[in-house]
Amino acid sequence: MQLIIALARKEFLHLRRDPRLIAFILLMPLILVTLFGFALKLEPENVKMAYVDEDQSVFSNLIKTNIWSEGYFDLYEVENSMEILNEIRLGRARAGLYIPRTFTAELVENQQPVVSMFIDGTMPSLATAMDNNSTAITDDSVTTDMYFSDPEEPAQIIADDPFLLEIKTLFNPDKIETWFFLPGVIGILIMQVALILTSTTVVRERENNTLEQLLVSPLTRSQFIVGKVAPYILISLLDFYAILGFSWMVFDLPQPGSHGVLLLLAITYLTALISMGLAISTISETQQQAIFISIFVLIPSILLSGFIFPIEAMPGYIQPVAYIIPFTYFVDIIRAILLKGNVLSELIMQFLALAAFSILFISFSIFRFRKTLT
Amino acid sequence: MIVIQTSHLSRKFNDVMAVEDLNLEINEGEIFGLLGPNASGKSTTIRMLAGIIQPSGGSARILGMHLGKQTEQIKPDIGYVAQHFSLYSDLTVSENLEFYAGLYRVDNAQTLHKQLSRFELHRYAKSIAGHLSGGYQRRLAIACATVHNPKVIFLDEPTAGIDPVTRKDLWDLFYELVSDRKTLFVTTHYMEEAKRCNRLGFLSQGKLITSGQPDEILASLDNYRVYSAELPYHPATNRKIVAATGVILVNQFGNELRIVTDHRTSQENLESVISAGIDTKLKLEQVAPGIEDAFMVLTQDDGKKCS
Repeated sequence: MQLIIALARKEFLHLRRDPRLIAFILLMPLILVTLFGFALKLEPENVKMAYVDEDQSVFSNLIKTNIWSEGYFDLYEVENSMEILNEIRLGRARAGLYIPRTFTAELVENQQPVVSMFIDGTMPSLATAMDNNSTAITDDSVTTDMYFSDPEEPAQIIADDPFLLEIKTLFNPDKIETWFFLPGVIGILIMQVALILTSTTVVRERENNTLEQLLVSPLTRSQFIVGKVAPYILISLLDFYAILGFSWMVFDLPQPGSHGVLLLLAITYLTALISMGLAISTISETQQQAIFISIFVLIPSILLSGFIFPIEAMPGYIQPVAYIIPFTYFVDIIRAILLKGNVLSELIMQFLALAAFSILFISFSIFRFRKTLT
Repeated sequence: MIVIQTSHLSRKFNDVMAVEDLNLEINEGEIFGLLGPNASGKSTTIRMLAGIIQPSGGSARILGMHLGKQTEQIKPDIGYVAQHFSLYSDLTVSENLEFYAGLYRVDNAQTLHKQLSRFELHRYAKSIAGHLSGGYQRRLAIACATVHNPKVIFLDEPTAGIDPVTRKDLWDLFYELVSDRKTLFVTTHYMEEAKRCNRLGFLSQGKLITSGQPDEILASLDNYRVYSAELPYHPATNRKIVAATGVILVNQFGNELRIVTDHRTSQENLESVISAGIDTKLKLEQVAPGIEDAFMVLTQDDGKKCS
């Protein structure tokens, strides 16, 4: 027993000598639980819905007004029905509504006009929620005033519903969860490998005293950083395609519209991750700290990126956090190219964001990595 | 030709002066030994000269180039062997050597091969560096640090923790390097190694106490006498000797007692102090001072030390 206490006591002494580690052990869970407690909701409010109302009648207004008053969808008008699809494809809207020109005409004739609703199927949970909330379009408060009877004839039984709602799920029509999860999971696996591998790489040289020997050599700071980054980009790239290849074979994941764009995504995403890992390595004093910081980065990246929990479901003040996470852009791009068939020109902003991360983290690492000790 | 020149070189860590006002001149083709106890500032000095710690005061020139302003130009011409094993212990001997060769743009297979045989490492070329004995790890470290044929080589305690036979082998290597007109800057706390250096500097608490050739330093001890006697450790008597006027240092080596004194006392005086303590007549013998005597006397502050 005494021996166990002696050993246990020594472990506490080690911890006490590493105040940063104590901070990570105590503060990290607190920060994360606060963040997630406020941020994570599966059910968003104000889901963006692009609409075209060609009818522009009292009746079509009834539908829109009810959607507004229910508050789940946030309606905005676009030019034509093609625009609706485009808005969803570009991720600006999650849903769309199309009311045809003949709506009122058919309504008064009891011909059951068709109203179309479009749903983005790339996030199945959200798609299902939108599906459930489509009742805002068809519920009684809308339809009560839409029943017409012929004044010449005695009251007749008319169709159950004055109009029909046709829901079309786009991009992942069967709402296959695997298609939704898998691209993100690939990103997470790669993030884990890349971050842990790189975040320990500089600090390991320091811990093993090998950094000193590198510092006396003519190696420049930039050469050091690039030499450290390059091999891990290559390794993670191989890893990325291995996982992706497996997913194509086993899980029937859709092929991208362009393999070039996919490769570009892999390279920019991995460069951003590895630069981030390197930046972590330059601020860590021990390998243990580096791994802790990596995990500290990893968990919020997964949860706040819109991968599982829609960003629009987060409170407004937390949403900006999602946009400082490289993984957010990765998930966005990979879903766009695998499921929605977006082309490069539509994804420029996301690619630029990823490139900006790389530049930022690499510059930071070069700045942090001094060619002298202490 | 002066290869290393420092002028008032200093380094302060927080409030502690690790190295203070250091003035050195080291010539081409010599082995300069910086001697000092632990924490005397040896490593800080050598790291400043190797360009990996910035001085907080003073300046230094290496091969005529200004340290600090021209550090990157100096780097290809210097080699540095850190105090602790600072190679990749999971790589093999030749992988380590190839890596460092690459850092200095040396890609000649023949050079690498020569380097391996010069340091007698060819037999271990495929061995994992971390599995080598301490002596061979040191050889590998020196081989890596000199693979680019530097003009100046800094060695921070290269023989610390090494057995005497291996230590001799290492020194043979140092002499071989010097015969190639290389300049070696060595730190050590082994006094017996001091005589192997062409010139010495004594460092104590960050200050250079004296420097010169070993003989010159010993000659500066003219005012001191060193006595030796066959006498086992006798605490009470030792205390009495330490307390006697003129006694600078009392040092026990097994059954040998060594006493360093200045002019204020004489052999007869000492003999009577000792004889009174042990109740027997004892004959002291005057001996030539060694480097260790010199070091201990010169680094002594006001109080006397009994070790």
